[in-house]
Amino acid sequence: MNDQQWNTLLSVIRGEKLSTLPSGFIIDSPWLPKWAGHKILDYLTDDRFFLEANLKAVRTFPEVMFMPGFWSEYGMCTEPSAFGAVSIWEEDEFPFAKRVLHSAVEVERLDRPNPRKDGLLPFAVKRLQHLEPEIRNAGHQIRFAVARGPLNIASFLMGATEFMTALKTDQELMGQLLTITTDFLVDWIAYQRECFPSIDGILLLDDMVGFISRRDFEAFGAPYLGRIFSADVTVKFFHNDAPCKACAPLLPDIGVNLLNFGVQHTLMDMKAWTGNKITLLGNIPPRDVLAAGTPADVARAVKAMLQPLEDRSRLIVSCGGGMPPGVPTENVEALISAVIEN
Amino acid sequence: MCEGSGLREAIIRGDAAAAVSETRKLLDQSVKPVDIISDGVTPAMAVVGRLFENGECFVPELLMAARATKDIFQILRPLLAETNARPRARVILGTVRGDLHDIGKNLVAAMLEGGGFEVTDLGVDVPPERFIAAQKEKQAHIVGLSALLTSTLPAMKAVIEAFGAAGIRDQVKIMVGGAPVTKRFADTIGADGYGENAIASVDLAGNLAGEWKDKESS
Repeated sequence: MNDQQWNTLLSVIRGEKLSTLPSGFIIDSPWLPKWAGHKILDYLTDDRFFLEANLKAVRTFPEVMFMPGFWSEYGMCTEPSAFGAVSIWEEDEFPFAKRVLHSAVEVERLDRPNPRKDGLLPFAVKRLQHLEPEIRNAGHQIRFAVARGPLNIASFLMGATEFMTALKTDQELMGQLLTITTDFLVDWIAYQRECFPSIDGILLLDDMVGFISRRDFEAFGAPYLGRIFSADVTVKFFHNDAPCKACAPLLPDIGVNLLNFGVQHTLMDMKAWTGNKITLLGNIPPRDVLAAGTPADVARAVKAMLQPLEDRSRLIVSCGGGMPPGVPTENVEALISAVIEN
Repeated sequence: MCEGSGLREAIIRGDAAAAVSETRKLLDQSVKPVDIISDGVTPAMAVVGRLFENGECFVPELLMAARATKDIFQILRPLLAETNARPRARVILGTVRGDLHDIGKNLVAAMLEGGGFEVTDLGVDVPPERFIAAQKEKQAHIVGLSALLTSTLPAMKAVIEAFGAAGIRDQVKIMVGGAPVTKRFADTIGADGYGENAIASVDLAGNLAGEWKDKESS
């Protein structure tokens, strides 16, 4: 993000009303490589392709805030790799991580990774360090420390079914697992901040939170997310595009001030549940409209989303989730135009 | 038959040990396995499904009920085989190639089994040729494809095309589901149905099974 975009983001988060609503998207490997004409594996392994694709995005859509912006990631493998998860790579598919825990009791043998040395984490940091001069030359800076959330990592380490079941059958061990993933995330985020002093935000992505009850969120979500978000940064950005009615009212209390959520809920509902204390990044349908629709469909969806909204503070127009594969340039342009018109 | 037995309540609260114990008690009382399913398991899973849809229970609770159901079927399956009881339909399920996520598929499998379907679960990361081989072996009426990753959606289309190429597309109804799947996508790839969630998938399978029976009798 450049300085102007960052300052706009801070203004929106403070609740200031802007003359034009801002637009923004989370972009990463599901959309960016193919949009820029690269195979996924090339994008993930070649720093030149990574830089070129990200620069193409920010230059093609200068009005749009891309968050986190220049996100150095290896799909879902980044954090699990530090725990020893084997990463599987295909030429043009997303990499995935094999589980490392085959039962709840194996949590006892899980070590807390060292983000400076373990798995793909040094690669993720080094990539950005190598490219930082060019990113700065383009007028942008590394603004966010980024990580998958503690429940999300736990689900990759154990398998989602096993993790969700163990939240009921092995609660003490799951508390232990979440403590390890959280301790690790605190270290990982601190290390990113150490490497890039321009960081003043955290983006945490955790869809698992959306699958549990409020009571379970209070036990297994809030305490751990709260620890991570207690870091001294200005922007505390949370992504969960699974249903999040149960956890939404508790998000302001754990420090979240920017939320990207799914299409299950309306902006009005989400504003009500969060007491309008959180800036919302949302939420036209990502796949059916933004990716598969026409520019006219996108314009209609934006209009339908914005029209009933009386209070347009703390809002960044986006899709409900990250940018999905296959979104054409003209649909992003249609969203930008529709936001200006409405 | 099962009313007052505690079986339904045990399933609803996800207590697998109690559910197994209640099932054994009912069998000891000479209640037929097929009646335990239709009068105990199916209505209990329907309650769980309703609670889930209303936001009164969540995925962990659903999984616990599914686990209880699975344990019950471990007991009932051999007995059902002995009595030649016919399932509502035979279903093959799998998460498509490139996708290791199984939570949705597992929930659908449990809900279907609880609903009286015979389920063959092929697991995760299943290539098209395994679906075809399983279909040739099991002669299923319905094939269910699951995906959680947006990137694996094309693999669903590949399975449907593989059924066409193998000349067996007409033998089977294909339903799809998973977080990134939409009705529009299901229509685009030529699926016969789209299950928005595990609960809806059971209703969908019931409808598809009905279509299959209609086709058989016509």
